[in-house]
Amino acid sequence: MIYEEMTNNIRSVCEKLLNSNDVEVIVAYRGGGVEGMQIPYFAKTPEDVQNIEWGDRCYQNIAPYVHGLSKKVGILAKPCDARILTQYITEQQIKRDDVYIIGVDCVGMVDENGDPRPGCPDCMVRKPPIYDEYIKDDRVDSLDLSPPASEDGGLEANFERFRKEIDKCIMCYACRQACYGCYCKTCFIDRDLPDWQPAEIDAGTKMTFHMGRTMHLAGRCVECGACEASCESGVNVRYIIKEVTKFIEDEYGYSAGMDPEQVPALLVNKFDDREVGFLGGETHG
Amino acid sequence: MKGLTQLEKWEPKIVAFLCNWCSYAGADLAGTSRLQYPPNIRIIRVPCSGRINPLYIITALMEGADGVMVSGCHPGDCHYLSGNLFARRRFVVLKKLLQTCGLDPERVQFTWVSASEGGRFADVIKEVTENVKKVGPSEVANCGSKEAQA
Ligand code: SF4
Ligand code: SF4
Ligand code: SF4
Ligand code: FES
Repeated sequence: MIYEEMTNNIRSVCEKLLNSNDVEVIVAYRGGGVEGMQIPYFAKTPEDVQNIEWGDRCYQNIAPYVHGLSKKVGILAKPCDARILTQYITEQQIKRDDVYIIGVDCVGMVDENGDPRPGCPDCMVRKPPIYDEYIKDDRVDSLDLSPPASEDGGLEANFERFRKEIDKCIMCYACRQACYGCYCKTCFIDRDLPDWQPAEIDAGTKMTFHMGRTMHLAGRCVECGACEASCESGVNVRYIIKEVTKFIEDEYGYSAGMDPEQVPALLVNKFDDREVGFLGGETHG
Repeated sequence: MKGLTQLEKWEPKIVAFLCNWCSYAGADLAGTSRLQYPPNIRIIRVPCSGRINPLYIITALMEGADGVMVSGCHPGDCHYLSGNLFARRRFVVLKKLLQTCGLDPERVQFTWVSASEGGRFADVIKEVTENVKKVGPSEVANCGSKEAQA
């Protein structure tokens, strides 16, 4: 089986790495623990690597574990995790030299019931954009990837859809907790000066939360699907983030987490940017 | 006002965020030149268009504004050099976000007005008010908290 072969490759890379004392710990996955799921695992000694496992249930994003760490760690990174690491590097949350990245190809993950994980079917990045060591999966080359169609159904339908999703939201913030990008010490929604969230939670507050979060993830979302997967109320507002992400790719040529040297779209200032939808719509330059 | 339907009587509430250095001065000039423009706008002065958090705009809509206008210095003229250039990208993306959420992007208007463009300021306000009138009362008018709407 291909996953066994890959697991063996990963184990031998990890064993070498831990033996060399270059890293203190390797963040990876292991089997068991939770049925139908491969769970995050921290390998600290060369003996530990026998527990490491790679498969189609390694869907948890483990890259956030290295956020803010300043000692050298190894990490097993499927493409979305590698993109997260790249974002952390661009956002100066970690240093490139502090992570040893074992990049793994990914054909898509399935959940406990064998259904595709949110995010995976539409994922366009199946090879890790950065790595120090690379584990190949030949199957990714024959995947038929086509970019997802726009879900813009026109203003009225869009509003109805948003409203319907919002009505289910109970403001538990699980989506925020699951997102790699939501690492703010104090989220805007938890602030009281200014108070974005009045005591009474109404549709407007919920919309403000999700629209605010989307603006904060604009150009940063790596489309891992964790937010959607984490919602116990079945809210799906990820299509909104997807539309905005797509727009930023088209308009500014920036995809999150692909190149640690590239400046994120919303941190760029250019005199001759287009002014889509501005009054008069003039373009300077 | 007898005989008018509710909608004909309706006048939009528009919040205008103006940067201190150009657009607010432009508004001032329009005022001292006694130019006429629709009284629908409520002006909020900010240091720079780059200081405008998109959440200000979203919150204004949720709390009962029918439209929001943002104006800063023309590109190249920002008092802080590039505040308006960063803002421009944010605003372009915000428009896309509004469209996707089903809030008419026409409610939110961005433009540049310099300190010497009193006439342009009056024209812009007319245009913005017309645009927001066309779009009608806000979709989210009944979504915000009652307290905020009072
Ligand atoms: S969308 Fe879901 S996970 Fe996010 S706050 Fe609402 S109920 Fe919680
Ligand atoms: S917004 Fe959702 S899909 Fe995007 S990076 Fe965060 S958790 Fe992943
Ligand atoms: S929603 Fe925004 S403020 Fe809150 S944690 Fe996420 S990025 Fe930070
Ligand atoms: S000071 Fe006017 S836009 Fe920056």
